[in-house]
Amino acid sequence: MRIRCVDDLLSVAADGPADAQAIAAQLLDTGEWLEVVPGIDSVVVLYDAALLDAGVAQETLRAQLENGVVPLPESGDIVRIPVVYGGEFGPDLDELCRKLNLSQDDFVAMHTGCDYVVDMVGFTPGFAFVGGLDERLRVPRRKDPRQHVAAGSIAIADGRTGMYAVASPGGWNLVGRTPFALFDSKAEEPFPIRAGTRIRYYAISADELDA
Amino acid sequence: MTITVLKPGLQTTIQAGPRVGWRHYGVPASGAADTLSLALANRLVGNPWNAPALEATLLGPTLRFDKAAAFAVTGAIAGVSLNGDDVPLHETIFAKAKDELAVSATEIGARSYIAIDGGIAADDVLGSTSTYLAAGFGGLQGRALEEGDLLITNPADCPLLRTPDEFRVPMSSSWAVRACPSFETSQLRSGDELFEKNWTIGRRADRIGIQLEGATLDIASDGRMPSAAVFPGTVQCPEVGTPYVLSVDAGTVGGYPRVAQVARADRHLLGQLRPGDRIRFLRREAAGAIDELRAKLDYWRPWLEDIGNII
Repeated sequence: MRIRCVDDLLSVAADGPADAQAIAAQLLDTGEWLEVVPGIDSVVVLYDAALLDAGVAQETLRAQLENGVVPLPESGDIVRIPVVYGGEFGPDLDELCRKLNLSQDDFVAMHTGCDYVVDMVGFTPGFAFVGGLDERLRVPRRKDPRQHVAAGSIAIADGRTGMYAVASPGGWNLVGRTPFALFDSKAEEPFPIRAGTRIRYYAISADELDA
Repeated sequence: MTITVLKPGLQTTIQAGPRVGWRHYGVPASGAADTLSLALANRLVGNPWNAPALEATLLGPTLRFDKAAAFAVTGAIAGVSLNGDDVPLHETIFAKAKDELAVSATEIGARSYIAIDGGIAADDVLGSTSTYLAAGFGGLQGRALEEGDLLITNPADCPLLRTPDEFRVPMSSSWAVRACPSFETSQLRSGDELFEKNWTIGRRADRIGIQLEGATLDIASDGRMPSAAVFPGTVQCPEVGTPYVLSVDAGTVGGYPRVAQVARADRHLLGQLRPGDRIRFLRREAAGAIDELRAKLDYWRPWLEDIGNII
């Protein structure tokens, strides 16, 4: 196990998003870290350097993981996410389809035609990195990120679908918009979508967005 | 009692301590960008260090007290007046009913902290009352103050205090902050350039991030780095080679190489950087940075007993 230390941060490598989530869950359970933040292929913990020496923190982390990591159980239910595809809500879809040599109907059929699993939540509150995008829809991020991407935006990049829970800058290709509340700070459960949540998209019309 | 916002200033928000333990859901720390100055202000009015106070950016607000209250202003060097008469920074000031407090544009440093005896009522969301502007929660309806807003406080009695000179955060236009090489520093082809250059703070310097100007770093990155955790103080360098430092409201994961990490000891200084300031990063390894953190905590502890939670 490789642990690297940078000031009050420790990073441990993971074999992909599911492993990163499992490592993070195990470390969060200990309650010993200020923050535990999984990435796509790593987990970083923030430790309290006022109290813990770097070497002690590393040994503690190693001990918490040395007996292996229990994979997280698969999520059973599928959360269905309505999406208005294209038009003003998905301003990049037109150009994307031309580049991929697809009609917009083809794109929607492909994007709504399978189940996905959320790899990771993060960046802004509730932003979901949804894995498993059809390889034929693989496109890079935009070279010129937007300063403002609206809350509810559905976007693709690098083999994933991204769901913008709150407005933020963003570099993903915008294909649609959902009225589904991805984050609600006042709700009993502020984050309805979590890593491991299974997702299926379905198309709705723009009229249904406000309904 | 209430305080009326007569002029909001450029961007004045209610900030308290950081929001801790939610980064794996994408929730950043928020809170005062300069936590040490927040704590010093609260100390002068007898509040806990992380009581909700006002953080003003570059140009401060004008406020009217409807009843007598004590307040204190710390942080950036700025003019503070009560009914037009100058009053000092770093001192408990007693306002009477109808008094008007004005905080001027900052002269050195970027952010002023205005603490009110008893704190300011604010929305508690996910364990902190600090405002997070991007998602619109915490503080006062998740937004910056506007003209006509009413702030609610609950003053108690507090004695007159002054921050001893040696415990004030030194303000400057030319900063040196300690920083450690980070997880992708090896992708920099130009080795130590980041640590050897004098950088200039760019026009974009806010609670999300601080742009560095003055050089273009040569970085070996294909732009496909898997997203990984970032924190306040993380210096990222995108493929174009112009680095920036993340601050308290930045996203929690990012896909650009992490080339340095501002050491915890000096992270609070990020809240005082303003466009045009100069900055150097002093290279430290983890063990040295932590020793220096503890020395800094020991230095401030006689005045701020909670210093271990503050910086």
